[in-house]
This record gives sequence, C-alpha cells and structure tokens, in this order.
Amino acid sequence: MAEHALRRERRTGNLSLLIAVPVAIVSIAPLLWALISSLRAGDEIFAHLYPLTWRTVVPESITLDNYIAVLTGPFAMSLVNSVIVAFFSVTIGLFVAAMAGFALAALDFPGRGAVFALMVVSFLIPFEAIAIPLSTSFRDWGLANTYAGLILPAIGNGLSIFLLRQFFLGIPKSLSEAARLDGLSWFGVFWRIYLPLSKAPLVGAGLILFVFQWQSFLWPLLIAPAPSVRVAPVAIADFAQEAGVDYGQMFAGAILASAIPLILLLLFQRQFTNSLASSGSKE
Amino acid sequence: MATPLREPAPARDRTTAGAPAPVPRRRTSRDVWTAALFFLAPAVVALLALRIIPTLSAVETSIPFGTDRALLSNFTYIFSDPDFLGSLRVTLLFSLVVNPIQIGLALALAVLLTKKLPAVGLWRTLILLPIAVPQAVSAIIWLVLMRPDGPLNGVANALGLPSVPWLVSPDVALASIVIVCSWVGVGYWMTFLVTGIRDIPTSLYEASSIDGANGWQQFRSITLPGLRRPLLFVLVADTVSNLLIFAPVRVLTQGGPQGSTNMIMYDISERAYTLGDTQAASAGTLVLVVIVVAIVAVQFRLLPGKD
Repeated sequence: MAEHALRRERRTGNLSLLIAVPVAIVSIAPLLWALISSLRAGDEIFAHLYPLTWRTVVPESITLDNYIAVLTGPFAMSLVNSVIVAFFSVTIGLFVAAMAGFALAALDFPGRGAVFALMVVSFLIPFEAIAIPLSTSFRDWGLANTYAGLILPAIGNGLSIFLLRQFFLGIPKSLSEAARLDGLSWFGVFWRIYLPLSKAPLVGAGLILFVFQWQSFLWPLLIAPAPSVRVAPVAIADFAQEAGVDYGQMFAGAILASAIPLILLLLFQRQFTNSLASSGSKE
Repeated sequence: MATPLREPAPARDRTTAGAPAPVPRRRTSRDVWTAALFFLAPAVVALLALRIIPTLSAVETSIPFGTDRALLSNFTYIFSDPDFLGSLRVTLLFSLVVNPIQIGLALALAVLLTKKLPAVGLWRTLILLPIAVPQAVSAIIWLVLMRPDGPLNGVANALGLPSVPWLVSPDVALASIVIVCSWVGVGYWMTFLVTGIRDIPTSLYEASSIDGANGWQQFRSITLPGLRRPLLFVLVADTVSNLLIFAPVRVLTQGGPQGSTNMIMYDISERAYTLGDTQAASAGTLVLVVIVVAIVAVQFRLLPGKD
C-alpha cells in the first residue's frame, strides 16, 4: 500500500478513538458503578449520588460485607440453581442439537427437507412468545418448580441446530463413508469424527444455549417461583422490589450474576465469533 | 410430518438375502433410516412439545370450539380493549425507534472497530460486555441509575442540564427503555457484524484504495454488499427480540406511567397472571406470533439475495 495511504489510515485510526473510547466508557460505566456500589457499606451508596462529587465514584472504604451477606444468605441458593440449570441446559441441549445437526447434514434420507422445514418453522416461533401457554402445559405435566421445568426449554434450540448443521455440511462426506466402510457405526461417526472436528461451533452453540438460560427471566418467573428452585435474575428482581431493600447486597448479587457469563464470554470470545462467522456468511 | 412416514422400499431381490456381502447401496438406505430416526427424534420431539404444541394450545384456548360463543370472540374482545390496542401501539412505536438505532449504531461501531486503531480488541470487548449481564439484572442497575435523585441526573446537573424524569414521565419512559435495551443490545449485534466484515477479503479494499476510493465509497460498494447476510440476520433477530421485550418493562416501569411502556409481552403476561384471563392472553399470544412471523417473512423478502 502506498505510504500516504498508510499514514492516512493511521490518522483516521486515531480519530476513530475519539468515538470508540467514549462508547466503550458508556458501555462499561453502569457496570463499574454497580461494582463500586457493591463494595460500599449499605448506607453509603445513596449518600454521594446527588449532586455529583468525586465521592460518587470513590468509596470512603472498601468492604466485602455485601458479598459475604449475599453468599451466606438465600441468594447463594439462587446462584447455585442458575449454575445447575445452565450446566444441564448446555450439555443436554448441545447433545440434542448436535445429533439433529448431524442427521440433517451427514445423512441422506428422503424427508430430510421436511424435517428441516419443521426446524425452521419452530425457529420462527420465538420461545418467549409462547412461554405463557407453554407454562400452563408444564404445570399440567407436573414440571412446576422443578429443575426439569427450567432446563427443558433449552432442548431443541433451533438456532444451535442450524449453526451446527451449517458447520457439519462442510465436513467432507468421504470421511464418514470411509469410516463406515471400516465398520464404524453412525453414532461412532458422529462421536469420533464430527464432534472432535467441531470445537469452535460447539463452543458457539453452547454459548448461545448458556446465554439463553442465564438471561431467562419470564420463563423462570412463570414456572419456578419457589425459593428452592429460584434462579439468580428472578431472585435479584424480587430482592429489588422488596420494601427496605439493601442496595449494597443487591449490587453484590447483580455483580455475581454477571460475573459468570462475563468470564465465559472473555474465555470463549474468539471461538464464539469464529463460529458465528462460519454460520452467518459462508455456506 | 416430522418423522419419516414411508417404509424404505423392500429389497427386490430376496435370493441374495443370505449372501455374505449385501449390496452397499441398499443396506445403507435401511440403516440411514434408523440412524436418522435415532439422531433426530430428541430434537423433533422437543420442538413439537416446546414450540408447535403450545402454539396449537393457544389456538385451542383462544378459539372456543364447540360452544355457542363466536369463534373469534376473544379476538374481537382484545381488539376492542384500549389496553391491548395501546400495547400494540407502544410496541410498534418502540420497534420503529429501537431497531434503526440499534442496527445503525452496531453497524457504525462494527465498521469503526474493524479499522486499524490502537487496542481495537479492548474496545470491542468493553462494548460487548453488557450482554453478559442478564436483562433483568441490567434493568435493576438502570432502575437505580435513573432514579430522580440518581447518578444519571447527577451527571446531567453537573453538565448544567436539568434533571430528566426518566421513568416517571409518560413522555420519557419509553425512551428510557430504548436506552436500556440499546445499552445491552448494540455490542451484541455489533459482534455479528464485526465477524461479517472480517470475512470480506481485504484485497477488495486494497484494490479500491489504489483506485482512489474514499471510505464512504468503500463502505457503499464493498462493506454493505459483503455484509448482506449477517446484516439480514441481525435485522431479523434484533427486530424479533425487541418485539419480545419483557424484563426491562416489568422491572423498570410495569407498563406505566399511564400505559406509555405497556409492551405486548407485558400486556399478555398481565392478562394471564394478574387478571387470570387465559383466553385473552392466548389470543394476544397468537397475535404476537402472527406479527413475528409476518415481520420475519417480509424482511426476508425485502432484502435481495437467496444465494
């Protein structure tokens, strides 16, 4: 590239920072504020909110009391519930989606188009839209206030089936044909060839399932309000709507409920974006 | 519909039944059937039970078959109810504002953050971070931020601006929900577009800058066409997810003040659980499903390119 073009690019790059940095600050500021608030003594949070002073952002003293209170109280159970529900949603959901994606990509059978059409149709009906009639059925089936009731909606997630199918289509058929001739079962082909080759899209689909469950609010509110199965977002919302809420503890809960997906996102960001690339824009 | 209905064709030549090496093609077709059944059954059962059947059960609940009531009575009822009509209006207004804002910002940021600038990965990550926060949790953080005596008004006053009645004025509350949802969504949708831009061959940009194209021309003739598929995905997925907004409404405003933020999901859930009117709620659910499917269909038609 010509030298002046390079120089121009560097200049526009530095100018771009004038936009990128403020946007990044706006994105992160509410979280930082929640983090700072969670480290303050309960009565200090609102003491310096208004009008704005430097004390608004710098606590007088840092304390972990809110975290200790939250982790030894009933909220700890909600956090554990969220982790249990997310773990089983991701493992079972991923397995079911990968199996379906494998059948739709690797097996040639008449009716494949019809099954794929069923997937697309159910993909068009968003889960949240039918959550209310579904919750009535779930109650009839005795799934109210159970882990199964919370986990099941993540099974048969259309987007993750689609993502994995797209990736599996790129695996050469000759590979599975050869393995079949060597006597490997179809499950063997799936388990020993397709899955090991698909780490990036599996991580991507797993993150989709994880975020779906971790974000879920309406569904757990409807199907699992009992304290023994209550998940973290519902617990925090209940907490915030109580009279005389302890805001320091509420922010500690908010930070804990955000920290787990945050860590996963940072760990898996690269695989996530790579797998999106292979589903979104390439055939 | 879901599972194969036809039996595989029986083997025509039965004399070879005991032969040691069956014809590979015929054998394959039989065990491909069983394999397909095995691999697809869990997902198909789940999709039927979790998507198709609840939709049908909403039809059954909202249309009183076998009674002397008019079949569409629940629909005539909700379409004459000012609260439901109000929720449709608010949802439409919200969609018309929030989708262009989110997609426009996400696209602008994606273009910006695929250029050569210092620490670009850091800025991308920071902008993506809000998606990690569960919506209900971010709504609670903003609930405190937007209090009349909260930090947002503190910042406004420090800049010499008047306080804003974020959640308490019917004129402002919906805009506040737009802000909260965009804070969560923009970084997420941006990530899809960043990935799409990175898939466009850099040689196209190099060639066009040798030809003297400026940034805007490159955006128009290289970035936009190259981004068509991810952009279509973001458009559809963002529109649908914004139609289904629930947690911010429930946590921040409960549909108020004066119904100004009563979006359709909140309206339906109130009907079902506060008023106990499952028939009207099911009718509302079906209206929502029809709107979602219609919008997705139109958007797929509007944008060229089934390649």
